Amino acid sequence: MKKSIAVYWLFFLLFTTSCKKTYEPSVITINYNYLVIDGVINANPNGVSTITLSRTKNLTDSQSAKPEAGAQVSIDAESGVSFLLSSQGNGMYTSAPLNLSVNGKYRLRIATSDGSKYQSDLVAVKQTSPIDSLSWSQDTLHKDVTIFAHTHDPQNSTRFYRWDYIETYQYHSQIESGLGLKNGLMYYIDSTTQQYNCWATANSSVIAIASSEVLSQDVISYAPVVWIPKNSEQIGIRYSVNIRQYGLTKEAYQYWDILKKSTQQTGTIFDPQPSQVLGNIHCISNPNEPVIGFVSASFITEKRLFIDRRDVIDWVYTVPGNECKIDNTPANNNFLLYTYPDTTYGPYHFTTGFPNSTLVIAKKDCLDCRRRGGTSIKPAFWK
Amino acid sequence: MPRKMFCIWLLSVSLFVGNTAMGQEEKRITVDLSEVSFSRFVQEMETAGQYRFYFNPAETDNLHITVKANKELFSIVLQQALQGTGFQFAVDVQYRVYITQKYKIQTALPEGFFDRKKNTKDTIAEPILFLKSADGDKDKLKASLEKKLFEIGPKTNTTGKGNGILTGYVRDIKTGEAISGAVVYVDTPAVKTITDQFGYYSITLPRGRHTLRINSIGMKDTKRQLAVYADGKLTIELEDYIASLKAVTVTTEKRSNVRSLQMGVEKVNIRTIKQVPSVLGESDILRVVLTLPGVTSVGEASTGFNVRGGAADQNLILLNDATIYNPSHLFGFFSAFNTDVVKGVELYKSAIPEKYGGRLSSVLDVSTRDGNSKKLSATGGIGILTSRLTLEGPLDKGKTTFILGGRTTYSDWILQQIPNSAYANSSASFYDLNLNVTHTVNSKNTLYITGYMSHDRFRLDSDTLYKYGNQNAIIKWKHLFNNRLYSVVSAGVDRYDYSVSSERVPVNAYKLSYDINQTHFRTEFNYNPNNKHSVNFGMHTILYKIHPGSFEPASAQSLVVYDKVPAEQAMEAAIYLGDRFNITPDFSINAGLRYSIFSYLGPHDVNNYLAGSPRSTGSIIGTTSYASGKNIKTYSGPEIRISMRYSISKDASVKLSYNTLRQYIHTLSNTTAISPTDIWKLSDSNIPPQQGYQVSLGFYKNFTESLETSVEVYYKHMDHYLDYKSGASLVMNKHIETDVINTKGEAYGIEFMIKKTQTKLNGWLSYTYSNTRLQMDDPIAGETINKGNFYPANFDKPHNVNFIGNYKFSHRLSLSLNAVYSTGRPITLPIALFNQAGSQRVYYSERNQYRIPDYVRSDISVNIEGNHKIKKLAHSSWSLGIYNMLARQNPYSIYFIQEGGVIKGYQLSIFGTAIPFITYNFKF
Repeated sequence: MKKSIAVYWLFFLLFTTSCKKTYEPSVITINYNYLVIDGVINANPNGVSTITLSRTKNLTDSQSAKPEAGAQVSIDAESGVSFLLSSQGNGMYTSAPLNLSVNGKYRLRIATSDGSKYQSDLVAVKQTSPIDSLSWSQDTLHKDVTIFAHTHDPQNSTRFYRWDYIETYQYHSQIESGLGLKNGLMYYIDSTTQQYNCWATANSSVIAIASSEVLSQDVISYAPVVWIPKNSEQIGIRYSVNIRQYGLTKEAYQYWDILKKSTQQTGTIFDPQPSQVLGNIHCISNPNEPVIGFVSASFITEKRLFIDRRDVIDWVYTVPGNECKIDNTPANNNFLLYTYPDTTYGPYHFTTGFPNSTLVIAKKDCLDCRRRGGTSIKPAFWK
Repeated sequence: MPRKMFCIWLLSVSLFVGNTAMGQEEKRITVDLSEVSFSRFVQEMETAGQYRFYFNPAETDNLHITVKANKELFSIVLQQALQGTGFQFAVDVQYRVYITQKYKIQTALPEGFFDRKKNTKDTIAEPILFLKSADGDKDKLKASLEKKLFEIGPKTNTTGKGNGILTGYVRDIKTGEAISGAVVYVDTPAVKTITDQFGYYSITLPRGRHTLRINSIGMKDTKRQLAVYADGKLTIELEDYIASLKAVTVTTEKRSNVRSLQMGVEKVNIRTIKQVPSVLGESDILRVVLTLPGVTSVGEASTGFNVRGGAADQNLILLNDATIYNPSHLFGFFSAFNTDVVKGVELYKSAIPEKYGGRLSSVLDVSTRDGNSKKLSATGGIGILTSRLTLEGPLDKGKTTFILGGRTTYSDWILQQIPNSAYANSSASFYDLNLNVTHTVNSKNTLYITGYMSHDRFRLDSDTLYKYGNQNAIIKWKHLFNNRLYSVVSAGVDRYDYSVSSERVPVNAYKLSYDINQTHFRTEFNYNPNNKHSVNFGMHTILYKIHPGSFEPASAQSLVVYDKVPAEQAMEAAIYLGDRFNITPDFSINAGLRYSIFSYLGPHDVNNYLAGSPRSTGSIIGTTSYASGKNIKTYSGPEIRISMRYSISKDASVKLSYNTLRQYIHTLSNTTAISPTDIWKLSDSNIPPQQGYQVSLGFYKNFTESLETSVEVYYKHMDHYLDYKSGASLVMNKHIETDVINTKGEAYGIEFMIKKTQTKLNGWLSYTYSNTRLQMDDPIAGETINKGNFYPANFDKPHNVNFIGNYKFSHRLSLSLNAVYSTGRPITLPIALFNQAGSQRVYYSERNQYRIPDYVRSDISVNIEGNHKIKKLAHSSWSLGIYNMLARQNPYSIYFIQEGGVIKGYQLSIFGTAIPFITYNFKF
């Protein structure tokens, strides 16, 4: 009795998931189709700026993104110089390597294919201090891993920071095969054709920001940037993350803060009320049309960190459970000729010797790590 | 010592009685007397028979007899005449009649009294005189008080013309505590008054004979026979009607709602509050208040309430006139009032008396008990979450009484019991303490001292620690100048503070603290020149001192820079005058005027903004420094409080009221629910006071003795209500005016209520339709919410149905049921998705354009009282029940988060399951 009362008490006090259930909003089907701008004007020497344009979609839309193609995008300096960006497809526009002026002010100008014109406010180039170090720790209780950034600016001028990252991790296929398959012919695998070791890469999907506004020195200590759930495949073998640091203006920081709060709520009763995010980009042809995004110009500093499986404690990692069906088929006379009809299978190895050899086959998903999205070519930074 | 002498006198009489002749014939009497004095009655009886009466004239002086008999036996006539007077009679063989109070005289000695030889063992063990107790029955005592004629003022032969003023206190017979809100009236002429917070009343009566009736909710009705010769005093004691096991006939004045001049006032006594099923059996005043028509809240875990479309900070919450800034524990799950100490609650939602001011929407007046003045006693309760203990009693022979109540929680212990180790490092605790001391200096002067303190501490998983608490102290001195005039002078201090601290990351270790202090002084006069007028006037001053925030390092390694938002101070003063004028018995009017002045005082640096341009840090054109005590900005204005009543018939009336109000202090909060870390901000050069008016009209009708119905409609308008810009930062903000926007609000609604009282089934059913809309109309806001169009307020819930019912099966068993329905509150929903920073994000609609699903909840509880033996060590009761018995998952909040790059919507229910509870209460 006492226990159950305690649990009931817990329910309301600690907002546990017991009282949380998914909520499907009633049909909100109007497609507003607002323009969304994502990206940073890169002020690094020979920096390439990448700007992504897309459209909002309604909540029930399962499409992953609605890229905006055919737009004219340029970075305009206050001085009047303009740098046109070239379309890379998928709504992505990139600049040539640019050397922007540290003291200059820049804006983004966009003309979409439907004739609408947009431009951002002029933004000053923001300095970014280097990342001093990255560290990580594993929670003793929950066993999850958090990676922290540490930085300081002796000039006390950066103050507002944002981080994003590209993470890469090594993983294996379930079965290490000795045979490869090309144009219906099998071959023996060597280190250049291996399909057992793969490297997967992913971009950050959280907003990591911090400010030292209230501190006497511009020091950021233990700013959490990456979070890896316990027993995740990411640290199944070896994990690496490249964290990029951007200095922000106070206005940009506020934009990211509101965006973060409105989409990364915890659901407690003391969350601020959600509010419309207001960026610094405006539609010139229709001032009432909302535009989403905040354009910053800043230097970008970066640092890489590795974590090995042996460094984490109690990491119970298993290869995701594909059903690894293994079968036999008699080898052909031309024993490297592969003719098994079911194309979801691939060669694994031969049994016994020639001529009465049997070919052992298995599901390709179990044999080839690339089928799970990674590359079998070791990245250059991988040590 | 008269009683002792009387006994000796009795003794001497009795000894003469002896054992004289027995068995003489009893006489038959014919008599017809109405309301005659006792001596006249004796005269009649002595002439009618040959009886001789012996009695104490001093005792029987006030006794009046009505008797009618036709050839009845003498003893029957006598019995009839004395019935209910508390007097006993005895007749001896020689026709001598002894009239005595309380004890009956034995006219004969026990058998064998003189025959000692037969019974030698019996020495003088038996008393010579047998005084048989008349069983001291309360009913008889009461009956005797009701029949007894009280002479008011020195007796004169002729009553003459003119009036006499009767004053006094109405008290509880058991505890001696003052009963406020009791109705004291006579039928002809129709004169009525209501006891004040001290149980004091003053009524003007024409000289002559009257029957004064006294009714109060939950008490037995009583009456007093009066002969008014001049001004005088009479203290009346009332009995608790529950205490009696006999059939209860309650005739409390059912017309109170119809007849009372007050409008839009909801009174709830503590007994009702305790009957309502509550979360974990923790009786909660504020949750009962939320069931009243016209009161809503944003959600069930919030003790913030909204009255007729007003914001949560527009309610003045008073505990014996001390302002409570945060009436909640555990972030709003429980209210901070200990129900063992509370006497009752009054919520003024439309006609707010002129003596109150400073808030726009309502006044919630929580009154506490004075403590038992007759004996020392303790009450307490053991619940799932808290235990409470209250001690009360007289100190020096009843001149001083005290009540001391405390509550504490063992939630820390519960947290330790939870298997999930995540909570092992969490802690939550609270306590509150109440102390009231009432000291009667003399019949003209009484002192009242109230102290209150609450404290909360909450830490989740060893991170951020929240602490907050209220501290209040007030001293009141009531002085009676004469029967027509009395004054109450009070002074007190109120404080609320909170702190938030975290030491998890050493370089960031910080402590944020906030506090608000107010010192107040109030003088109030009450003048009753006659029954047509009741005048009250006075003044009220509050000195505010707020420390809006200090942010300091909390460890040696911390790099946090000490920062402080400069303190604010202000003086609010008001004078008021009001008159309740009974023009005819059917038509009365209450007119009041309050004039309030608010001065924002230095030292302070005030930002000056570019006139006409949106306020932002960029439009600050300078700062003006003001020295200490220097007046920076003054606001002042009149507040009009008018209400009138017209009785259509004996059980129906119409009331109308018009109120204007001003508010100089505002809560800054951009969360949906009020939170303990909200900031109170004073009006200053850049933030004008909130102003509003309300018009309401009501119709009241009582169908039977116990069935009250009412309909009230209202319209309310508010100006300079504060709303926030998107993403406003309110903490440690030194230029808050750049983040707030003046908003205009309007609310209207209609409230229906059916109330059943005093029968086995009691409770109420109410339905409210209301609408509250806000509009940002600040030309210098820079940014407008919803493009300057009207939008619904967070707490706008158009349909509201509340049912509170209690059925008494017996005096020991009662069942309570509570049911609530309301429209879901408005929310801002995401309307579009977009990708940014590697993940899907949501784009929100304009503010409050959608609603969460409707709210439905029902609770049940059973109260079992222990046996009703009057004399036993401890009286105990059990209360058990289920909160949210249908286990409905009412959404409290709806929010959207991105998980693995996809937006998911969740609804959070705070009490998402049926929650059983059990509480043990005791009293000894």
